[in-house]
Amino acid sequence: MKTYILQRFIQMIIVMVVVMLVSFIIVELPPGDFLTTLREQLTEQNVDPKVIDSTVEMYRARYGLGENWFIRFGKWAWSLMKGDMGYSMQHNRPASELMGERLSLTIWISIATLIFMFVVAVPIGMLSAIKQYSAWDHSFTFLALLGVSVPSFITALVFLLLSVTLLGATTVAGLFSPEYVTAEWSWAKFVDMLKHVWIILFIVGLGDTAGTIRVMRARMLDTLGEPYIDTARMKGLSGAKVYFRHALRVAINPIISSIGLRFPQIISGSTIVAIVLTLPLIGPLLLDALLGEDVYLACSILVVLTLALVIGNFLADLALAWLDPRIRFEN
Amino acid sequence: MNSAPDSEKVLDIRNLQVSFRSIAGATRAVNGVSLDVRSGEIVGLVGESGCGKSVTIRSIVGLVPSPPALFEDGEIWLRTRRGMTETLSLHKNTKALRQIRGRDVSMIFQEPMRSVHPMMTIGKQITEGILEHEVVDPAEAYDRTVEMLDLVGLPNPAAQMNRYAHELSGGMRQRALIALALVCHPQLLLADEPTTALDVTIQAQILELIRDLRDRMRMSVLLITHNMGVVANLADRISVMYLGRIMETGTVEEIFKEPAHPYTHGLLASMPSLFSQPKTRLQSLRGVVPELAMVPKGCVFADRCPHVMPKCDETPPVIELRSDHSAACWLYADVGEPRGAPAVADQPSLPGDRPPLDSPPRVETIPLAGSEPAADTARAAPAGSEVAQLQIESVALHYPILRGLLRRQVGTVRAVDGVDLTIRRGETLGLVGESGCGKTSVGRLVARLVEPTAGHIRFGAGGGLEEITHISQKEMKRVRRSMGMVFQDPLSSLNARMNIRNIVGEPLMLHQLAKGRAVDDRVGELLEMVGLRAAHQSRFPHAFSGGQRQRIAIARALATEPSFLVADEPVSALDVSVQAQILNLLLTLQQQLNLSMLFIAHDIAVVRHVSDRIAVMYLGKIVELGEARAICVRPVHPYTEALLASIPLPMPGLETLREMPKGDLPDPANPPAGCRFHTRCPYSQPVCEREEPPLRPLAGDADHFGACHFQDELQLQGVEEIGELGASQ
Repeated sequence: MKTYILQRFIQMIIVMVVVMLVSFIIVELPPGDFLTTLREQLTEQNVDPKVIDSTVEMYRARYGLGENWFIRFGKWAWSLMKGDMGYSMQHNRPASELMGERLSLTIWISIATLIFMFVVAVPIGMLSAIKQYSAWDHSFTFLALLGVSVPSFITALVFLLLSVTLLGATTVAGLFSPEYVTAEWSWAKFVDMLKHVWIILFIVGLGDTAGTIRVMRARMLDTLGEPYIDTARMKGLSGAKVYFRHALRVAINPIISSIGLRFPQIISGSTIVAIVLTLPLIGPLLLDALLGEDVYLACSILVVLTLALVIGNFLADLALAWLDPRIRFEN
Repeated sequence: MNSAPDSEKVLDIRNLQVSFRSIAGATRAVNGVSLDVRSGEIVGLVGESGCGKSVTIRSIVGLVPSPPALFEDGEIWLRTRRGMTETLSLHKNTKALRQIRGRDVSMIFQEPMRSVHPMMTIGKQITEGILEHEVVDPAEAYDRTVEMLDLVGLPNPAAQMNRYAHELSGGMRQRALIALALVCHPQLLLADEPTTALDVTIQAQILELIRDLRDRMRMSVLLITHNMGVVANLADRISVMYLGRIMETGTVEEIFKEPAHPYTHGLLASMPSLFSQPKTRLQSLRGVVPELAMVPKGCVFADRCPHVMPKCDETPPVIELRSDHSAACWLYADVGEPRGAPAVADQPSLPGDRPPLDSPPRVETIPLAGSEPAADTARAAPAGSEVAQLQIESVALHYPILRGLLRRQVGTVRAVDGVDLTIRRGETLGLVGESGCGKTSVGRLVARLVEPTAGHIRFGAGGGLEEITHISQKEMKRVRRSMGMVFQDPLSSLNARMNIRNIVGEPLMLHQLAKGRAVDDRVGELLEMVGLRAAHQSRFPHAFSGGQRQRIAIARALATEPSFLVADEPVSALDVSVQAQILNLLLTLQQQLNLSMLFIAHDIAVVRHVSDRIAVMYLGKIVELGEARAICVRPVHPYTEALLASIPLPMPGLETLREMPKGDLPDPANPPAGCRFHTRCPYSQPVCEREEPPLRPLAGDADHFGACHFQDELQLQGVEEIGELGASQ
C-alpha cells in the first residue's frame, strides 16, 4: 500500500512538472520581451519613469529574464510555487490578486457540486436498479436523459427567465445579493451565499448528476446479476444488507474513479453558466485571459486547474485502493 | 396433497409449475415436477441446459425473481428447524424465507470464481452468515469459521480468514463457498453444477469433499449436473429432467444398469466414456433441446425420441416400474395392466447384456467391449501415414511478467516450455491437460497466432516439410490455406455482424479461390457437408444454436480444403447430446477428407475417443505421449493416471481407490524444481525434487514416451482394467 501511494505521488509530480513546462513554453512563445510590453504599457499610462524602471527591474530579477531557458523556467516555477502567479497585462494587476477569491470560490463550488452529485445520483441510481422497470425507474430514466441532453447554460437561462417572469425577482444572477457583493466576508454574507448557491449547484451539477444516475443504475444492475450476490442472499441476509454491504461497494467503483476527472470538467462546465449568471468564478477569468492573450494569467490558471485535477485523481486513487483489495493486490 | 410429507423427507417438491412472462407470452419452464430428498441422501437432478433444473432448485429458496417468474401450481415442503414448511407460500414473506436460507438449506453455485465477493475477506463473508442467524459473539463466530475452513480442507485455515477471493484458486474458492454454505449446519445442501467450471482433478476433489461432508454433517444433498459421470459416483438416487418435466427417477444402479426412458438412454450413449470404442460414431440424440416456446405437445421428448409412436401426442403418465423407479413414457403403459405394475420384463436395457426381443426397441448404443467392423477400418493407418504433416521442435512460449513504474521484468510465465511433437498425415493427435497447462498455447503457436520464443515449427502444406517458425505474415497466409482452426466458444468466434455466407466464404475470398456466385455455391456445399441447410446462408449467427454455430465454425475452417485442422476445445462449451453430434461430425469429416488434426481438450475421455495418439501436457511440458488406447490402458506417468482417475465414470459403485493428485496446479511462472508434477504426485521420491526427467521412450516400446523417473518400474492403473472390474461386479 505504501509503495502504491508513493508510486501515485511520484506520477503526480511528474505530470505537474510536464504541465508546467508546457505552460512555460506557451508563456515564452509570443515574440518580444514581456518587459518591453510592460514598459510600453506603463509609459502609456504616464507612470513615473523611475517607477517604471524599478518595476521592470524587479520583474527582470524575479523571472531571470535574459538568462538561459532553464534558469528562467526554474525561477518561474519557483515563484508559482510561492503563490506568485505573474502579472496580468490586461488588468495591470498581479494574477494572484485577480484569481484569489475566484479560485477559492470555484474550488468550494466544485466540491459542493461533487457532493451534490454523489448524494443525489447514487441513491437514485441504486434504487432505479433495484426497482428496475418500475414507475420510479422509468421517471428517473426520463429525467436523467433530459438532464444529460440539455446543456447547462440553457438550464441557467430557463431558470433566469422563470425567476424573473414568474417570481418577479430583480436580482437573480450572481452568487450574492447586491448589498453583499463588495462586502467583507461575514456570517451574513455566508448565509446570503448559501441562499444563492444551491441553485448554482443544481444548474452546474445537473448534467453530471444525470450521467452518474445512469452509470450507477447500469453498474448496480450488473452487480446484482453477479453470482456472489446470490451467495449473499443465500446466507439469509436482508435486502438492505445485500444491497449496501455487498452490491454497493462493487457498483460504486467507477464513480469514485471518475471523481478526479470530473473536477476540471465541473470547472470548465461551470464557465458558461458562470457567464450567464455572472458568477465570480475562475472560468470566465480564464476565458477573458485567453481572449485577451494575457499569457501569464492564462498559464497560471491552467497550472492551478491541472493541480486540482491531479490532486483529485490522486485522492480518487487512494479511495479506490482503500475500497478495493484487488487494486492493492495488483500493486 | 396439502398435508405435510412424512418426516423421512427433507425436501418434497410436488407438481411444481413455473412460467416466465415475456413480451412473446408465457413459457412454462417447470411443468409439474415432483421430486423428493430423504434424510442423508444425495439426489442428482440431471439434464441438458435449458431444461429447468436451476429454476426448480432456485424455487425452493425463493431465488427466482418474480416477476417475470410465475408460480402457477405446486408445493415445496422443506424440513426446517420449525418443522415441515411450505416454502412457495413464503415467497412474499421474505423474512421467513431469510431465516430458512443458510440455516436450514444452503446453496453452492456453478461459478466459484464469481461466487465469492471480490472485496470482502473470506472470513468476514462466512462469519456474516453465522451472525445473521445466531446470537453469538464475534470471537465465537470467528472460531467456528476457522473450524469450518479446516473441515473443508483449506490449508492453514486461520490465514485464509484474511484473504480475498482473488488470492484463491477456483478449487479453493469452491471449498470456501462450501464452508460458507455449511457453517450453520443446514440439513439440505443445494448444489447447482458445483464442479462444472473446475478442472477434472479439482472436480474429483470437490466431489469427494461433498460425499465426505454429507456423512460427517449428516445432511442431504440435491445436486444439479449435466454430467452423468458425476452423479454415478456421488448420488444415491437420480431424477432425469427434460424440458421442465421429470422423465425418469430411480436409484443410481437402476438408472445406469436399466435405464427406462429413451432420453436417459440417449444421455448415457452420448457421452464418450473411457470404455467406448475410439473413433466410432457416438449414438447421439438427434436434434437439440428446443426453445421453451416450441415444446412439443404431449410427450415433450417426442420429436427427438427414436421410439416415437402416435400415442406420444398425449402426455405420458408417470409409471412406477418398481418401488423406487419410475418413468414418464408410453413404452411402459401397457394397456390392461394396472398402473404401477412391475414392467421389468419389458424393460429395455443397455445392449451388451440382454437385448429385448420385441417392443420396446432398444436404443443403439456403443458396446462396452468388443470391436465393430467400422472401428477396424477407422483404425487402419491412412495412406501415407508416415509422412509428417507438422513437426514442432523444442518450441517455447514465454511471457515476461512486468511490474512497477518502469515495467521491470520480475519473472517469466513459461506457458510452453520446450515441446516436441510430430503429427503424421491423416493422423489425429490429442493434446490433453488441465487449464493453464499450455495446451491452447501450443495450438496457437502451430497456427502462428503467437510468436514462439524459441524452437522450430515445420509444416507440410503441399509437399515436404517447410520451416514456418519465423516466416512473414504474407508467406504465412499461403500456409494458412492448408490450415483450419476451430475454437472453443462458437458464439464469440463468429462475427455477429456477418451473415453465414460471408463468415464461411471469407477464407475463399481472402485466398481468391472463388468470387461472386461461386462463393455462394461453395458455401452451400460446405454447409451441407457439416449438416446444415445451404439455404441458410443469409442468416446471422444468433439465429443458430450452439451446436449449429460450431458446425458453421467447422465449415469455415474447412473452406479452403486444408489438410490440417487445429481444434481447440471444440466441444467443451456444448451440451452432451450436441457434443456427441459434433464429435461424430469431426470424425466423419476427418475420414472423408483425410485430415490431420491437432485436437485439444481437457477431457481425456473425449480426446481418447477421437485421437490416434495422445500427448499429455502438464505445466508447459509433454509428460506422456503414445498411442491413444495404450495411454489409457497403461499410463506411465502418474499425471496421466490422475487424469484418467479424475474422469467421473458413468458406472455407479465404481470408486477409484487410487490417490488423487493433491492441491492445485502450481503457478506456471514459478514451476517446481525437478519433476514439475512432484508436488502433487502420490509416488514422489527424493530424486523427483532434484532432477527433471526427460521425455524418453519406454523400455521395450519405442512408440510410447514418458517423462517420469520411474516409468519403467511403476505399475499404474489405466482404464480398461476398471472397465473389466466394473463388468465383473
